[in-house]
Amino acid sequence: MTAALAVRNLGRDHGGGQAPALDGLNLDVPAGSCLALVGPSGSGKTTALRLVAGLEVPDRGDVLLDGRSVVALPPERRGVSMVFQRPLLFPHLDVLDNVAFSARVAGASRRAARAAAAPFLDLVQMGGYTTRRPGQLSGGQEQRVALARALAARPRVLLLDEAFTGLDVALREDMHELLHQLRAVLEPTVVLVTHDHAEAAALADSVAVLSGGRLLQHGDAGRIYTRPASVTVSRLLGGRNEVPGVVVGGEHRSALGRLRLPTDVAVPDGPAVLLVRQEAVVVTGPDAPGADAAGTVLAVRAAGARRALTVEVVSPGGAAVQVHAETSPGQVFTRGERVGLRLPSSAVSAVPPEDAGTEEPEIADRRTADAGRMPRTHRVASPAVPDAGVRPDAPGAPRRRNHHGDHGT
Amino acid sequence: MLVAPALVPTVAVLVAGLAAALAQSLGLVPLVGRPELSAQAYLDVRPDLLTATGLSLGIAAASSALAAGVGLLTALLVVRGAAGRRLLRFASAVPIPVPHLVGAASMGLLLSDSGLLARLVGDQGSWPALVHGPWPVAVVAAYAWKESAFVALVVAGALATRVASYEETAAVLGAGRWARFRFVTWPLVTPPLAAATAITFVYTLGSYEVAWLLGPVHPEPLPVLAQRLFTSPDLTARPQALAVAVVTAALALAATVATLAALRRTATWR
Repeated sequence: MTAALAVRNLGRDHGGGQAPALDGLNLDVPAGSCLALVGPSGSGKTTALRLVAGLEVPDRGDVLLDGRSVVALPPERRGVSMVFQRPLLFPHLDVLDNVAFSARVAGASRRAARAAAAPFLDLVQMGGYTTRRPGQLSGGQEQRVALARALAARPRVLLLDEAFTGLDVALREDMHELLHQLRAVLEPTVVLVTHDHAEAAALADSVAVLSGGRLLQHGDAGRIYTRPASVTVSRLLGGRNEVPGVVVGGEHRSALGRLRLPTDVAVPDGPAVLLVRQEAVVVTGPDAPGADAAGTVLAVRAAGARRALTVEVVSPGGAAVQVHAETSPGQVFTRGERVGLRLPSSAVSAVPPEDAGTEEPEIADRRTADAGRMPRTHRVASPAVPDAGVRPDAPGAPRRRNHHGDHGT
Repeated sequence: MLVAPALVPTVAVLVAGLAAALAQSLGLVPLVGRPELSAQAYLDVRPDLLTATGLSLGIAAASSALAAGVGLLTALLVVRGAAGRRLLRFASAVPIPVPHLVGAASMGLLLSDSGLLARLVGDQGSWPALVHGPWPVAVVAAYAWKESAFVALVVAGALATRVASYEETAAVLGAGRWARFRFVTWPLVTPPLAAATAITFVYTLGSYEVAWLLGPVHPEPLPVLAQRLFTSPDLTARPQALAVAVVTAALALAATVATLAALRRTATWR
């Protein structure tokens, strides 16, 4: 039932001289594994899925299932099922007939198709709803039925196009759990598209980050968050900490001080941006042993059971940098409080700074949005690296200050 | 209460008009003499009424079936974005604003034995009597031309937002082109198609001008018969005219009720 999926140099043009929707995509998804395609709107992730499904024809490249090209086959002969953001249950069929659809169109009698469909409905815990009409179900129930219907087609590859995006948080977590269970039982090869990096982390074995129709990085889901290949990838995966500095002999030097980089982070000596996920930053007391830096809490924001802190660290040389951190549940900090920050070396990474002029427009937009959330902006002259990869919401960003001249609180 | 402004005039016109026609056809509103309940008008007009009913049902059924077929095909091509979609959209929209009488006159100029087609073929002597002939070919053609646009409009409107996504869903579930039509498109299209066809049928059954302009001289379709009797110098024919009108209305009502009953049984309606 399951197959290895490979995509080779896949491209799709918009036409009219616009940039391609997808350009030179190469991916390998081993049989039975789950890949998440992550990226902002317009990054080409849904196009990639539709090209794999056969709903669109590529302008370049190939799609291989178990090493055999399927690009010339129509969607119904590829053995690829897809669940869309909307459940799209057929309104003229009851729940069981919806799940029985694939068997029915394959030539089975209605009775046989319904009998074959019933176990799939049980699998998504919807066994008691066989005679309901789609309109009589909640959104979450409809999406469960849509998932059962896709699985009942016994696909070699299951594609999920933001299938859980429209659900509320609790339902979405239920669906994540359900997908884990289904993967354990049926072991389908899964490719899911999401713009929610947390969903990608929760579900996928590997994550591919797309932007502007190009693949920026594809890697193991456990590692890609702590070893993003670039500042852009870090941002697209929700990373908020970018500390400009320089790397000298495997050590990153910045306003935070000197931090030893993990041995697997290979970045040449010179300007480099230190990346560390806000979830990985440990907030301690200001004088706690093992703290890598100490700073002042600039802002405290609720983030579920946790608190998101913005901490300003000022180096002895006067350079300042803002570090975002998430506290453990129960930890209480207030604005203006002095705290210590520990950056576990396994969670830090460094990448060469990006040229601001080549960044994607979405990133620029997001940055502006981030900037709007910042309570204050501190002008900092970093003696170590005067202008290396300074993020516009970080010190010394005149463009952003022009846009938001009222940062003082 | 909120629907009262719409309901009151509709019911008043319908009930008052039909009641008056029924009463007059049953001899309750005689021109002279005492009112007397009688089916005489129906009996007097019976031979003509039977042939007219058969002819009118035939015209309505044939033109509605043609309109349904052409309209459905057009709607599917328009919704699916077939090649030449713009031209198709234009061609299917043109008949809608054209008045029936103008459409009928054009059809007459096209199909009559001295018409454009006969001239193009060149052999006017052997050209079949499509206009005013024994078979109401021109009437059916005129209604089908006009109503197919209406059917296409209704069906395309009902399908436009949904059919593509449902067909894509069916395709990734293994349904080929024919299976997609049989198991998805056809069930989705049936209710709007049935409703539009029923409206076409009822309209055609009771419509006068096209049948009068292009139809057979004898037998006459129901509306033409009713109109001739009603405008006859013989004022005693009035009850017969209204008897024909009542039968026409009853047939239309029966067709409407049957369609609604059938629609209620379809899954998408429920």
